[in-house]
Amino acid sequence: MLQATDLTKRYEDGLLALDHLNLEVEEGEIFCLLGANGAGKTTAINLFLNFIDPTSGTPLINGIDVTKDPLEAKKYVSYVSENVMLYGNFTARQNLDFFAKLGGKKSLTKEDYHMYMRKVSLPENSFEMRVKNYSKGMRQKLGITIAIIKDAQNILLDEPTSGLDPKAAAEFIKILAGLRNQGKAILMCTHDIFRAKEIADRVGIMKEGRLVMVRTREEFLEDNLERIYLEYMQEAVA
Amino acid sequence: MLRDIIFKELLDTISSLKFVFTFLLCTVLVLLAVFTGINNYRAELREYHASVALNRSNLESQPNYMTLAGYGFTVTKTPQVLSTIVTGVQNAVGKSAKVSTNIDPGLGDSKYSSSPAFAIFGELDLTFIVRIVLSLLAILFTFDAISGEKEQGTLKLALANSLPRDRLILGKAIGSFISLILPLVIPLIIALLILTIYPDVNLLREDWLRIGLIFLMFILYISVFFTLGLFVSARTLRSSTSLLVLLMVWVTFVTIIPKAAVITAGVISPVPSAQEIAAQKDAVKQEAYMGYQQSLNEWMEQNRPKTPEEGKAFQEKFKEFLEQSQKEMLAYQEEKNATIETGYQARKKKQEGLAFNISRLSPASSLMFGAMSLSRTGINENDRFVQSIRSYTSVFASWVNVKMMRNLKLGSVEQVKPDLSDMPQHEFKPENLKSSLVRAIPDFTILSLLIILFFTGAFVSFLKYDVR
Repeated sequence: MLQATDLTKRYEDGLLALDHLNLEVEEGEIFCLLGANGAGKTTAINLFLNFIDPTSGTPLINGIDVTKDPLEAKKYVSYVSENVMLYGNFTARQNLDFFAKLGGKKSLTKEDYHMYMRKVSLPENSFEMRVKNYSKGMRQKLGITIAIIKDAQNILLDEPTSGLDPKAAAEFIKILAGLRNQGKAILMCTHDIFRAKEIADRVGIMKEGRLVMVRTREEFLEDNLERIYLEYMQEAVA
Repeated sequence: MLRDIIFKELLDTISSLKFVFTFLLCTVLVLLAVFTGINNYRAELREYHASVALNRSNLESQPNYMTLAGYGFTVTKTPQVLSTIVTGVQNAVGKSAKVSTNIDPGLGDSKYSSSPAFAIFGELDLTFIVRIVLSLLAILFTFDAISGEKEQGTLKLALANSLPRDRLILGKAIGSFISLILPLVIPLIIALLILTIYPDVNLLREDWLRIGLIFLMFILYISVFFTLGLFVSARTLRSSTSLLVLLMVWVTFVTIIPKAAVITAGVISPVPSAQEIAAQKDAVKQEAYMGYQQSLNEWMEQNRPKTPEEGKAFQEKFKEFLEQSQKEMLAYQEEKNATIETGYQARKKKQEGLAFNISRLSPASSLMFGAMSLSRTGINENDRFVQSIRSYTSVFASWVNVKMMRNLKLGSVEQVKPDLSDMPQHEFKPENLKSSLVRAIPDFTILSLLIILFFTGAFVSFLKYDVR
């Protein structure tokens, strides 16, 4: 479970990037954080991963305070970034092998890696290909494979479908749905309202560092999420 | 986990084009440098043997002691076997010195003065390759070690795991260092094997120890730039900024500081030119000779034989007087010259010491000084040789003057062929390993301190590095 309690981040230059964020992502739930650039979505993820220290509040992963015991907390979380780059000179399998070992999976075989790559529908001939020859969609799939191999209970995704073509994005969303069904708690930051609508169990809209609205799937389907989102964005512009 | 990071780093570098390029470049340059070193050494050895034979023959062909004293002979420096690796100042200073009662001892023309073209680009020896090429390669291996991984996003991905940062930087440092050293060590081993197959490159046990220490110094020097690269990479957010900063530091370390140090020392502690000192010594010589002439005239006035019977006794007394006054003249000259020389050498040493100490701000200078001390191809060994010639000249002058006076036949044209059997021989013992090591210790210390400083800087910076 992912939990943020009054999580606040103010940078040295005075910018308030995150203002008392309170949220919980339950097991088997996908929570999509929507918002414009600079709304504080990525800051929230960076706080969960202990890349930055909060000004106040607490980020918790499976009840472990990330600021107090980051190494223990990170055992229970996987991360997929907006632009998965990996090591270009390595093959897909070599990349998986390295990150699997960092994630504590030490005894996987070549066949295991191939099996994981099949799961995310990567083409067979790409398994031993150098990643520098991969398309963005293939790299994103490899990124999610790393998260799948780690098999952590929580997954943080930062704009994972950004720049993907519709087919690749749809495949990616399908993989996420599978992970939710396995009971993972997934927090996804995105601009992509259509994908959020397609997959999210709950959505939250962030504006100027604050979580200004949270809707369950039933609520946002009923209320027309696009309209609500645009209203908030227009307010932000005004 | 540390092992996994080291292995990843090794694999990542070895599978890159930069590793292949570095390996090929190192192999070609190291082998070229060693072949050049061996060929130069063998040529010097042939030149040395020819020169020794020629000097011996010239010495034996001297018609009398007076010609021997005035014309003198040449002493040639034995080539240093480790000049195959470190040329040092060997080509900038002369290889032989004239020993005579007329000439102030000093080394003759150098390779550079006879062939100035060589001085334009310097020597392509192993030290040059390490000092210039490998230090640059060390920077190219590390400038993006941290900032590059941040840019490509792998740093975030790695640190999203329960991976301690200290372990990550340690693993990266060890892995990258091994992959940097590999392209150097393999050609170096081949180069050493090549050294052993040349029969005239005679390496003794002590020489092998010296080679080991020189290679250790090479590795320390490369490590300085390697850790500097890590440090700058951990202080910058973009690899292009890191590369720019590192190139500026490299230029400062390798070219600006050593040259600026010499200029600064020259301004702070000026030394009279060699010509000024020679002029002072000429004045002393003239003064001594005038005194000698005056005492000779006075003696002649007082002791001129009045009857033919006194002639023989006069000749004997005159020889004794000449021997004595020659001795006195030489002693006077030696004393005055020694004062001039001591003052000059002290000021020169002070200037040199100042220049060396300032230039030690640069690791490139520490490498040069340390490697030259260990290979016995530096200024110190050269000064020791000149000093030995200076001491020997005085011994030779005393010997030849005594011989000259004893064999002087006044009023006769008969010449006495010099008997060289009891002529004192010039001996020069190259510096022993312990003394060389003592002189190299400051350079080892400076390089080690810089490594510790830069690595600690990189380590601490990475612990707080903004990976976003």
